[in-house]
Amino acid sequence: MTTAEPLLDVRDLRTAFLTDDGVVGAVDGVSFSLAAGKTLGIVGESGCGKSVTNLTIMGLNPKTARVSGQALFRGEDLLLASPRRLREIRGNEIAMIFQDPMTSLNPVHRIGAQLVEAVLLHHDVSHAEAKSRALESLKEVGIPQAARRIDDYPHQFSGGMRQRVMIAMALINDPDVLIADEPTTALDVTTQAQIVALIASLQKEHGTAVVMITHDLGVVAEIADEIVVMYAARVVERAPVDDLFGRPRHPYTWGLLGSLPRLEADVERLVQIPGQPPSLLAPPRGCRFNPRCAYAFKRCREEDPQLRPVTGADEHLQACFLDEDTKEREAARTLAQVTA
Amino acid sequence: MSDDILVVENLKKHFPITQGIVFRKQVAAVKAVDGVSFTVRRGETLGVVGESGCGKSTMARCVMRLLDPTGGRVDFDGRDITRLSRPDMRPIRREMMMIFQDPYASLNPRKRVGFTVGEALEIHRAGSPTAIKRRVEELLEVVGLNPEHYNRFPHEFSGGQRQRIGIARALAVNPKLIVCDEPVSALDVSVQAQILNLLKDLQRDFGLTYVFIAHDLNVVRYISDRVMVMYLGKMAEFANGKELYAAPKHPYTGALLSAVPIPDPKLGRARKQIVLEGDVPNPINPPSGCVFHPRCPRFHEGVCDVEDPPEFGFGDGHVAKCYYPLERWPMTVEEIERRPAERRDAAVASAQP
Repeated sequence: MTTAEPLLDVRDLRTAFLTDDGVVGAVDGVSFSLAAGKTLGIVGESGCGKSVTNLTIMGLNPKTARVSGQALFRGEDLLLASPRRLREIRGNEIAMIFQDPMTSLNPVHRIGAQLVEAVLLHHDVSHAEAKSRALESLKEVGIPQAARRIDDYPHQFSGGMRQRVMIAMALINDPDVLIADEPTTALDVTTQAQIVALIASLQKEHGTAVVMITHDLGVVAEIADEIVVMYAARVVERAPVDDLFGRPRHPYTWGLLGSLPRLEADVERLVQIPGQPPSLLAPPRGCRFNPRCAYAFKRCREEDPQLRPVTGADEHLQACFLDEDTKEREAARTLAQVTA
Repeated sequence: MSDDILVVENLKKHFPITQGIVFRKQVAAVKAVDGVSFTVRRGETLGVVGESGCGKSTMARCVMRLLDPTGGRVDFDGRDITRLSRPDMRPIRREMMMIFQDPYASLNPRKRVGFTVGEALEIHRAGSPTAIKRRVEELLEVVGLNPEHYNRFPHEFSGGQRQRIGIARALAVNPKLIVCDEPVSALDVSVQAQILNLLKDLQRDFGLTYVFIAHDLNVVRYISDRVMVMYLGKMAEFANGKELYAAPKHPYTGALLSAVPIPDPKLGRARKQIVLEGDVPNPINPPSGCVFHPRCPRFHEGVCDVEDPPEFGFGDGHVAKCYYPLERWPMTVEEIERRPAERRDAAVASAQP
């Protein structure tokens, strides 16, 4: 990661929304970078800011948002880009897939027309040429009888097939970065496996970098190179995938790993994280996880922990005041519990 | 008292598709549930898994008599309830309750929590208003809420807390059986763990029996004693929880298990996934023979597409409806596709213990 110039470099991103009840800090100092062809997983529960992070990068926030920080795409700060420049980038150099393919496809247009539109917006080609590209991309994502189905409407497709159409649309202009926001959450497990395998194989073929946003640690374990764990608008841990699952260093990550029922092990009792995520209108003082953390001590309640490298592993960052020995011990205990 | 609290035999629910305005005639039927049989033992949790549209929720609603079955029989606590009239069903309704998936949609937004939880008690005239109020407060405490929440409205609660309210409502009348229809699918993982642990604790404390419906095989493994896998309105496999996960017999179960993402990169990379092709077929016009045959990696022409396989036994209550069951687990795709030539026949199957 350190050798290649990052394709996307997000630095200290902050997004706040002005609401009637006050200021909601939805993203609070998030940094990550993504190299070409790599996959970054962003994991967290609802409301932790993982989606807003990416909407901010793409300039898709509502006007009430106050944004600061930097989001460098090939050195160009997307947060300062003009709306016109952003329109050039979106769908062309950076593409997105959303959770619900039914609401992100236009129900009154044939899917072929929607794909053609995506091509014509960014390329000066003939309609026939655009249509043949559309057909090509539908075939590539595995739509059976693509030539016939190109003239169908979205409602004529099943959920999994619609998500394939969305992927075809996202990849039709061969983007450098694909942002997938919970792409498989609405799908059944066998369909999810198809879609994850499809994204991984297309990524390999085209060398696309992928940001995978999900609440499912299982999905990112299989395809991500690096994982960012978010809690209450902040990054609490960021590590290469094997380190995150092999040596998790933040109590919230332990809780997430422990609260997952496992397919491959008998778990007597799931680890419970007590309580619920805090309101971002008035987040707790100090570490935001401290009211739910079993290890919290005085310092956690008073001081903001900064993201810093774990001793001996520069790429593994975490934000917790606990000493290394305790972490080593507790991480091992959690892992033993869930993979017995 | 028999060991089985619920006996379901050959349950069917077909929804008619009609045509015509004045003279409505039936032109086809959606076979949502098509001949499902199983039993639930007192005090156990039966997990029901399957993908959307496989009929698991319709099956649950038929068992609860929220829908009238088209055919088959449901015995609850030793009594045939399939054709009971509404007044006759009433005393039975308090013995079987339901918890629903969406805690936002299943609570009346205009009623206070105390009313919602206590409504069943009032309907079944379970005591004086003060006694009911005391009971409701006690229930709120049992499910981990504060008794002071009695006068609040559902919108004041988070998703997990609402699901706790739903659970308190189900517990109110001391039911024997609780049917949980995807109770944790809408919740975040940390909250999901809280609710699953709560359900387990309540089962231990009150001797409850659960039918637990979910699409998530991990969750079902954690909570269930025995598991039924459904596909397109039919049972595919039935086994003790551990055995189903350690030694699945039906290729569909194998495909489901291998599709579940494993939150462990080393294990995940090591295994070979069976990725099924295509989608679940249309239940209006289900495939001939075994309903899984168009997607099955072990499909044998002339067998699977002709005859619907019967239930073959594998010992200890483990049954699967497949002529070419998996020999072992885990298997790679190549091993599965190297299909055995010998088909399993009823005679061979019955020789097994």
